[in-house]
Amino acid sequence: MHNLTLAFEGAWKVLLAGLILGAGLPAVFALGIRSLAYGAGGEAEVHEAGTTGPRGHAIGTAGGYVAFALVLLGIALGITFVVATGFGKALSFEHIYPTIVDKH
Amino acid sequence: MTETTVVLILVVITALGFDFTNGFHDTANAMATSIATGALRPKVAVLLSAVLNLVGAFLSVEVALTVTNAVVKIQNSDGTPKAELLADGGQALLLIVLAGLVGGILWNLLTWLLGLPSSSSHALFGGLIGSAIAGLGWAGVKWNGDGSKLDGVVGKVLLPAVMSPVIAGVVAAVGTWVIYRITLGVAKRFTENGFRWGQIGSASLVSLAHGTNDAQKTMGVITLALIASGEWTDTKNIPLWVKIACALAIALGTYLGGWRIIRTLGKGLVEISSPQGMAAESASAAVILASSHLGFALSTTHVATGSILGSGVGRPGAKVRWAVAGRMVAAWLITLPAAAVVGAVMWWIGDLIGGLGGALVVFAILAALATYMFLRSRREPVDHNNVNDEWDAPAEAPKATAGAAS
Repeated sequence: MHNLTLAFEGAWKVLLAGLILGAGLPAVFALGIRSLAYGAGGEAEVHEAGTTGPRGHAIGTAGGYVAFALVLLGIALGITFVVATGFGKALSFEHIYPTIVDKH
Repeated sequence: MTETTVVLILVVITALGFDFTNGFHDTANAMATSIATGALRPKVAVLLSAVLNLVGAFLSVEVALTVTNAVVKIQNSDGTPKAELLADGGQALLLIVLAGLVGGILWNLLTWLLGLPSSSSHALFGGLIGSAIAGLGWAGVKWNGDGSKLDGVVGKVLLPAVMSPVIAGVVAAVGTWVIYRITLGVAKRFTENGFRWGQIGSASLVSLAHGTNDAQKTMGVITLALIASGEWTDTKNIPLWVKIACALAIALGTYLGGWRIIRTLGKGLVEISSPQGMAAESASAAVILASSHLGFALSTTHVATGSILGSGVGRPGAKVRWAVAGRMVAAWLITLPAAAVVGAVMWWIGDLIGGLGGALVVFAILAALATYMFLRSRREPVDHNNVNDEWDAPAEAPKATAGAAS
């Protein structure tokens, strides 16, 4: 039953990475959307019928774009990762910022 | 042209055929949600996915020559074929590979006809396992690894198949739930528009990862056949024409679009909205990438289905059609044994007749059954025009699609 233990070992790592990237990045994206809506005001936010809705806030728009930039960065990392793996390289986070190294 | 050369050509054509079915069977994994929510028009979605699969296939320069080693024993660990299978220009090995591929293709076509997203890698492995049992006996299959790493049918196929949909489902459910919490109070039209972009991005990532993962399986199989028949000797590289042919086959298949499966995944399982679609595709992309990085073999199909199901569970008040999900799980369970039976039967037929004649008959059976299934599919066509029709529409004929059929 060694395979089973090995599989569980792999599985929880995949789950962890999946939660951080697969649920975390979409959450950041959602924050961006919310922030943009706050920035746009008016029809973008839920408000009582008949009123014009809240005013826009410039800070919201800015925050929204920051969030989207973060998500784009995450996707760029993902693509780099796919390409690097294809060429026998790996992404290393030992310097905190990612670098491409040879796979060992 | 010798007999072996003709058999080899048949193997290569069949392998490319499998790659093609792999493409159209799996378009849905990446694009079903984007098509269902209208983020991309159906034709644009399959085109985008095809191009990314093509690019992905070329990015996968990692040698996948030992792909069959996970489940059957027809290769040494360095990728060269087993010496005892090499008599007569490797005909013994070629027949096992040919019969296995035919098993994979036929099962892929049948599940497509029924609109069920089953795993292409399971179909391939199942076919190979069946033909290996027929050709080499039970000992020809690597059932379990040696315990040092995940290996064999149990470690590389069965366990990941059980775990990956659950993992992907949990990730997607959490993602969906969080997204809906965060965007509470934002107007629906505003969120739908915004999330469409996120959806297209995450779906593209899934397509790219699919190209890098799946195309190289076929490349490995073709190169193995070339080595067995003495046409190629380098176990460190794959011939360029093989790479180009495989990339084109998978891209062409993707572009054709398995509309029946797209419909089941996009409309049948869950009524999906843009935020859910994005959560599902992000979960798929993250799980596929993370597991290929950790050497945890899994099927794109199982991950995508688990994700979509999870996005339905995570959204408060969403409707999940568990009956459709149950049919899919049933299809997954029988994919491997069913493809194995076809692979075994094909090997016996090929072996009984023997030599070139046997290979030709097996190929003819494949062509005949494939044509039959294609013609059968024309009776109730599903294409880019009706892929998004309401699942439960009263006007729909009772047998029209997988979810409604018995």
